[in-house]
Amino acid sequence: MRNASDTTSTRSTDRGDSPVVRVIRGVQILAVIAAAVGVLVFPLTGPGPFILSVGVVILSYACMATGWNFVGGFTGYISLGHAAFTGLGGYAVGLLILRADVPPWVALVLAGLIVAALSVPIGFASLRVRGASFVIMSLALVLIMLLVFQSWSDVTGGSNGLRVPRPFGPEVLRPEQHERFYYLHVALLVIMLVVWWAIDRSRFGAGLKAIREDEDKAQSLGIPTFNYKLSVYVISAFFTALAGGLYALWFGFLDPIFQFSILTGSYMVLMSLLGGIRSLLGPALGAAIVGYAIEFFKAQYGDTQFHLVALGLLLGLVVLFMPEGILPSLGRLVDRLRPSATSIREESAEDLANKNAAAEPRAQDPEETETVLVDDNGRHL
Amino acid sequence: MASDHLLELTDIEAGYGRAALVLRGLTVQVPPAQIVCLVGPNGAGKSTVLKVASGMLVPRSGRILVDGADVTGQGPQQLLRAGLSHVLQGHSVFKEMTVGENVNLGAFSVRDTQRVAERLDFVKSLFPLVADRWDALAGALSGGQQKQVEFARSLMVDPKVVLLDEPSMGLDPKATAVIFEQVVRMRDAGTAVLLVEQNARRALESADVGLVLDLGRVHISGPARELLDDPKLGELYLGGRPRTQATERHPS
Repeated sequence: MRNASDTTSTRSTDRGDSPVVRVIRGVQILAVIAAAVGVLVFPLTGPGPFILSVGVVILSYACMATGWNFVGGFTGYISLGHAAFTGLGGYAVGLLILRADVPPWVALVLAGLIVAALSVPIGFASLRVRGASFVIMSLALVLIMLLVFQSWSDVTGGSNGLRVPRPFGPEVLRPEQHERFYYLHVALLVIMLVVWWAIDRSRFGAGLKAIREDEDKAQSLGIPTFNYKLSVYVISAFFTALAGGLYALWFGFLDPIFQFSILTGSYMVLMSLLGGIRSLLGPALGAAIVGYAIEFFKAQYGDTQFHLVALGLLLGLVVLFMPEGILPSLGRLVDRLRPSATSIREESAEDLANKNAAAEPRAQDPEETETVLVDDNGRHL
Repeated sequence: MASDHLLELTDIEAGYGRAALVLRGLTVQVPPAQIVCLVGPNGAGKSTVLKVASGMLVPRSGRILVDGADVTGQGPQQLLRAGLSHVLQGHSVFKEMTVGENVNLGAFSVRDTQRVAERLDFVKSLFPLVADRWDALAGALSGGQQKQVEFARSLMVDPKVVLLDEPSMGLDPKATAVIFEQVVRMRDAGTAVLLVEQNARRALESADVGLVLDLGRVHISGPARELLDDPKLGELYLGGRPRTQATERHPS
């Protein structure tokens, strides 16, 4: 309710001098620190290999969703086909190691760069259209990739899949392996979040957000909209491919049907929407919730497709009650707690001391009447 | 050509697609620090003039000069750089961004941060509202306030001429009065204004030069004051007399 509370000046609230605002900010910072510590400490609590592997999967989802959010969050272009980039990243890593004998970690970075290069012509073609047409283009991309990687079996292994060698030697046992990949995913996620944060505060980010709101207006202000969209699309493809590649190194096996799946792309979108696409940590939070839900429902309902139904229900509820996502909705709730009356009172308390002599009674506004009363009380004391 | 005009549209012919021409040999000149107001009935081509002047529509013939330099056929971004800033019809703030972000976006094409800071100070002094509501969401402002934010945004590039397309559209009379006051203030601060308005009387009261457009040509031109007192204007604009082509219909 920022709009309703803005009757006087927002400058006073912005300076953040009010104790309530400080408390809210403190709680926010504490929550983020607590979450970060929780994520870092989790493997040390002895969760066991299976639960730890669930942690890796969730972090992988968080990386994918955050990678997706470079395009989705900044420009508002909803790509349902980002699985194309995770799949390409995974296959690029696997093929570089197997066919070119590239060391695994070099292969990972190279894969990111190769996919980024591939995304230039893809973005060039698909970013020419907006809205539903862009969504359909992105879906077509995944399906084309699926067909290519299934049919080109000499190179990709086709439907039989591709076995990716593990980067760590045989002496590293499974739980140890999970733990290492857990922290590798955390590192990748942190890098992505830092980049996203930096773009968010930059001129580039301001231009992108203008595109999200109205591309034509943005262009009329001299923002090179197409170049901006394409640049952020390539950045997004790069990071999404890294997420896919890291997953491939961990999981060790690639099957085109799962790598180039519309479901994976939809997960990225749903996680981001759930957490809030306009916030830095939204997609990661959404990934934690949806990722956990996916694993939970899978464990509950076994091999049936019922986990999809349960997930659909969950997301339906979110869209109904928190269409902007969790973090923005929470922010709005906090804004409501943030007492706008306090800042008005504070301001007029200073002002009134000076104005009092010449004060004409300005009592049309109920809020203002209240202000004067409070101040009167103050002077009685 | 005397370059004492900041913007000169000469013998412009323009239209949309294969349809008939909208502008048929129109000539408009905007002198420095003056408000030039285009009035005329619906379909006279008022908005088309601004589209041509801002590069959104390339004229079929004629010339566009900005401060003496020929910019005919150039696109919106080049014309923006040449010094023409266009405030679109209707509400065109970015509603989900703050007032500050909106205003800063106006200077997007300016790289020099020192100059941007200077412009920002200037704009804030011209429109105190911008400073007061800097952190408010633009969508939370009233229609008239949003218009002021748009004005502020358009001035960030230090334009030679600001093109205003129906700034009073959708505003109540009080807000309209404020908006015209702001337009005058922009002029007093040294910016030339090319203004298009439905609200002809009110616009001419604030303008320096008035041009009455009809059927794609400038029909009458002169000091705005004189036009206001001219009975012919009322007759033509209010549609008191049937026009030569029967294809046009006036809203009663």
